[in-house]
Amino acid sequence: MRGTAQWLHKMAADSEPESEVFEITDFTTASEWERFISKVEEVLNDWKLIGVSSGKPLEKGVYTTGIWEEKSDEISFADFRFSITHHYLVQEASGKDGKEELVEDVLPLSMQDLLCMNNDFPPRAHCLVRWYGLREFVVIAPAANNDAVLSESKCNLLLSSVSIALGNTGCQVPLFVQIHHKWRRMYVGECQGPGVRTDFEMVHLRKVPNQYTHLSGLLDIFKSKIGCSLTPLPPVSIAIRLTYVLQDWQQYFWPQQPPDIDALIGGEVGGLEFGKLPFGACEDPVSELHLAATWPHLTEGIIVDNDVYSDLDPIQAPQWSVRVRKADNLQCLLGDFLTEFFKLCRRKESADEILGRSTFEEDGKEVADITHALSKLTEPAPVPIHKLSVTNMVHSAKKKIRKHRGVDDSPLNNEVLNTLMLFLFPDDADKLTDGSEARLSTSRNNPPPESEEYNLYSQFKSAPSDSLTYKLALCLCMINFYHGGVKGVAHLWQEFVVEMRRRWEKNYLIPELANGSPDLRCCLLHQKLQMLNCCIERKKARDEGKKPYTSDRSPSGSSGDTGKAVDRSGGDYQKETEKERGEVGKSWESWSDSEEEFFECLSDTEELKGNGQENGKKGGTKEGNKESANLKPEGRLHPHGKLTLLHPGEPLYIPVTQEPAPMTEDLLEEQSEVLAKLGTSAEGAHLRARMQSACLLSDMESFKAANPGCCLEDFVRWYSPRDYIEEEVVDEEGNRVLKGELSARMKIPSNMWVEAWETAKPVPARRQRRLFDDTREAEKVLHYLAVQKPADLARHLLPCVIHAAVLKVKEEETLEDIASVKKIIKQIISHSSKVLRFPNPEDKKLEEIIAQIMSAEAIIARARSLKAKFGIEKCDQEEEKEDLERFVNCLLEQPEVSVIGAGRGPAGSIIHKLFLNAQRMTESSDEVATMTSLDEELKRSGSSDERRLNLGAVTDFPPPAGRELILRITVPRPAPYSKPLPQRMYSVITKEDFRLAGAFSADTTFF
Amino acid sequence: MDEDILTTLKILIIGESGVGKSSLLLRFTDDTFDPELAATIGVDFKVKTISVDGNKAKLAIWDTAGQERFRTLTPSYYRGAQGVILVYDVTRRDTFVKLDNWLNELETYCTRNDIVKMLVGNKIDKENRAVDRNEGLKFARKHSMLFIEASAKTCDGVQCAFEELVEKIIQTPGLWESESQNRGVKLSNQEEGYGERACGGYCSML
Repeated sequence: MRGTAQWLHKMAADSEPESEVFEITDFTTASEWERFISKVEEVLNDWKLIGVSSGKPLEKGVYTTGIWEEKSDEISFADFRFSITHHYLVQEASGKDGKEELVEDVLPLSMQDLLCMNNDFPPRAHCLVRWYGLREFVVIAPAANNDAVLSESKCNLLLSSVSIALGNTGCQVPLFVQIHHKWRRMYVGECQGPGVRTDFEMVHLRKVPNQYTHLSGLLDIFKSKIGCSLTPLPPVSIAIRLTYVLQDWQQYFWPQQPPDIDALIGGEVGGLEFGKLPFGACEDPVSELHLAATWPHLTEGIIVDNDVYSDLDPIQAPQWSVRVRKADNLQCLLGDFLTEFFKLCRRKESADEILGRSTFEEDGKEVADITHALSKLTEPAPVPIHKLSVTNMVHSAKKKIRKHRGVDDSPLNNEVLNTLMLFLFPDDADKLTDGSEARLSTSRNNPPPESEEYNLYSQFKSAPSDSLTYKLALCLCMINFYHGGVKGVAHLWQEFVVEMRRRWEKNYLIPELANGSPDLRCCLLHQKLQMLNCCIERKKARDEGKKPYTSDRSPSGSSGDTGKAVDRSGGDYQKETEKERGEVGKSWESWSDSEEEFFECLSDTEELKGNGQENGKKGGTKEGNKESANLKPEGRLHPHGKLTLLHPGEPLYIPVTQEPAPMTEDLLEEQSEVLAKLGTSAEGAHLRARMQSACLLSDMESFKAANPGCCLEDFVRWYSPRDYIEEEVVDEEGNRVLKGELSARMKIPSNMWVEAWETAKPVPARRQRRLFDDTREAEKVLHYLAVQKPADLARHLLPCVIHAAVLKVKEEETLEDIASVKKIIKQIISHSSKVLRFPNPEDKKLEEIIAQIMSAEAIIARARSLKAKFGIEKCDQEEEKEDLERFVNCLLEQPEVSVIGAGRGPAGSIIHKLFLNAQRMTESSDEVATMTSLDEELKRSGSSDERRLNLGAVTDFPPPAGRELILRITVPRPAPYSKPLPQRMYSVITKEDFRLAGAFSADTTFF
Repeated sequence: MDEDILTTLKILIIGESGVGKSSLLLRFTDDTFDPELAATIGVDFKVKTISVDGNKAKLAIWDTAGQERFRTLTPSYYRGAQGVILVYDVTRRDTFVKLDNWLNELETYCTRNDIVKMLVGNKIDKENRAVDRNEGLKFARKHSMLFIEASAKTCDGVQCAFEELVEKIIQTPGLWESESQNRGVKLSNQEEGYGERACGGYCSML
């Protein structure tokens, strides 16, 4: 379709009467080479690199402080692909007006840059920037996965292409091609301007020819390369930088050592406590110190540097700058802890699999060995003692494991387990009778509640830092690291679950959890524990209320059934306790199978009692409100202000009501899903209201019980006061009276409120069916806990561990006060609060968070290492100390830091000392003697020359690891009458690398 | 059907009993007004898809009961909500005075701190106004909320209120997730849907 339209369009165009004469240029026979050149030109055009380049002279240090950017494209020569990249320093747009004033024969910017001395030896830059001082250039290099350009003819072909492209386009930006293997970083290039050209050439060798190791040799080669016959030649300007490397920190051995776990368990808590995360690097985080001594402006003839003598003494250098090399793959304790814990998340095994026993096996054995089973029955069950100590409990749990596994090699030994359990459940320590056990100090310094730090848990969705969940997370983290990894984790978790069940059965509240229903801002596991606590609390209240309950009831009950009810409840109670005992006994043996039958009974007792009571009353309630007014009120909480019932005129009482069911977020999710599934239709809405009316009904029943003879209006006045509308009216006798009635919506016939009111019987809360079945909910939680695999646990608790790690980093940072770490911490918090709040965060995002924490730790470790090395602590002069601190902070944040006062400043003299010590170490064997006398010697000796004499053969510095030189001159080339043009040569000599990078410009006008 | 929905948002309506929360919702979802709407028990739920600036958003709106006693039940539904509409009755000062309590509640139970809040003064059709517009405005400014006065009865401002709220939520980065972003299963379903459509288009051309 589309094609046809175009075709028609074309036809129409062609049929126009005007005919033009076209000049035909034939490109059909263009070679690959020509096409390549045109492609290069096209790219240069696209990037707008054509024409006179303009820009301000370079400011000092702008190569470091400015922003470098690059643009890339791909071009090909036949089927060989190249990448073409434009590297440039981002500059403010220079005034365009200035451009027109430019005279035609002004040198291209790049040629001017060759001579600019403001950005020599930039600490971090592209190698071509370092070698030629360029602010802008284009590089053509073989694309990724393409072979290097090796043969000389190919190199020449490329260079010619460049030359032609530059000539054709008038582009003044230097264009380089990369030749030879990538690692050699060999480039050749060209820059063209009006009547001038600069050739960029390079020599790269593995070994340094002897004559080029010093300045005089390099000057010779530079001059011969220029080949200028001008006499006398103007002096060459020279910049030199010598780099010295310090690797030996022997005199400062790294103080941090992995904490000794045995000492910890033995009670002697060293650097590490339960509930605290370790911190710091295990090795020196600073591996090398590089000192660069620079002579930025020398002129030929001022100094001597040849194969026999050199004036280049680093102590005398006018500029010093230092950079530090970070240790690669630095091992840090906190980071390792986190990483190892995170690895747990990927384990697939269940706790049982890890602990090496399968439930199947176990069951099979027990069934097979009937005699054993029988003897087990007859054996006295390990009846729990009321004042059960943790040790006792741990032993029993351990015995269980031992029994199942047949060998006594549970991952955690008794001592460790005891310490852990005491740490997690300090309330058990209080219950210990023997008192010989050491109490754990409860004075953990937590941030005060309401502080920003304390509330971090709601951002991380972890748990408060003083909660059991948080402590558990830290314990598991430590167990995972020091005590048998995942096995230890599985073991501790099992013990933890056993303890949870014990507490449920014994009505012991779980310590260190906030009261009330689950805090939805915390992690699910925390909510589950809080839920269990709610269940325990209710069960406890019920059990404790039982005894007074029965005695309380006999006088209140007027019906003949009372005696029976008491009997019954008494019996129930007894039965219950028996069952409970049996239950407890059973649980010590095996808690993994369901005990529902027992627990159902337990929960039913209350109801039975309720029913018993109710049966006796039924006759009365059925007859309606007026009769029931004679009933004794029950379950009153307190009078509701001055309100009185509308009809009998008695005070209106607020009843004791059932508390709403606590919910964890998963239950809530379930429930709201059920509610949402009912849809948005009227029936759906009705059903939804009905499902939720249990609470309303319960409150109505309580209200009726507390206020015999009441009506719906009374209830509404308490429950929804705005639905009882009072108006002042004037009655027949002319008096103003308040007249009240239900609101319109409450008067809708058979609306749910009315309906509920009609079905509600006067039953006090304590005899109502429970809205919240704590027994069932507790069992659900315990089951949930029991089936958690170590990986699930790790996922649940990872937010707590990250939370703790952030607090740890924060705490350590305050000691050091490092701006960049403060920034990272902020980032971590905002990042984490985004990632951790959603269910099932991606592993990649979690890894990022951990990596951020690790980088913060590494920076702090590095800061400490540097502070130790520069002896900041030992420094007594306040001013000097501040300077040093500033210097160290700069070292952490900048790639290279200049040393104020060079070798003579406070930092400089420390660096000098460091080198001197290292030198002495390598040179002399009796280190100790030398080291002690060193300081005094340094002070005593006045000038460096003197010192040099004193020390004799031992020099202060090792031979430089790198020598860089830049030689510059402006001379006419190629002939003495040509235009004077910038010439430059850069050389670098390292241990196994020698490079000369020359830029030689020539006047092309007559050549 | 659902393919072009950008995101599903959870919106909550809270406020004292009888201020017209359910009426506002009914007006918004069904464009009707029922002067005799029964008092809500617990929470109710409605869904509506709206389009704001070309972005389709599915709103799951939870309407809550305002009675004091239900308040122990409803806050659990605050979880995960991206937007909340806080309603008061302009003819009843007490419903305005209680707003602080509702904000506290929100602060306590809401799981995110960047939730978008909108204050709606309802029942402006009535004559016996007791709360001045400026008071509402001042309150909203103090607590960084959106503010509008509305009437579920006359339809004034209702649509606008919901649209404004949704727009604000969508403009808040990190508050919502695009449907296709977090749910792998959904994404693949979507792609299948597209595939079918593409095929259908091709066939009809032939």
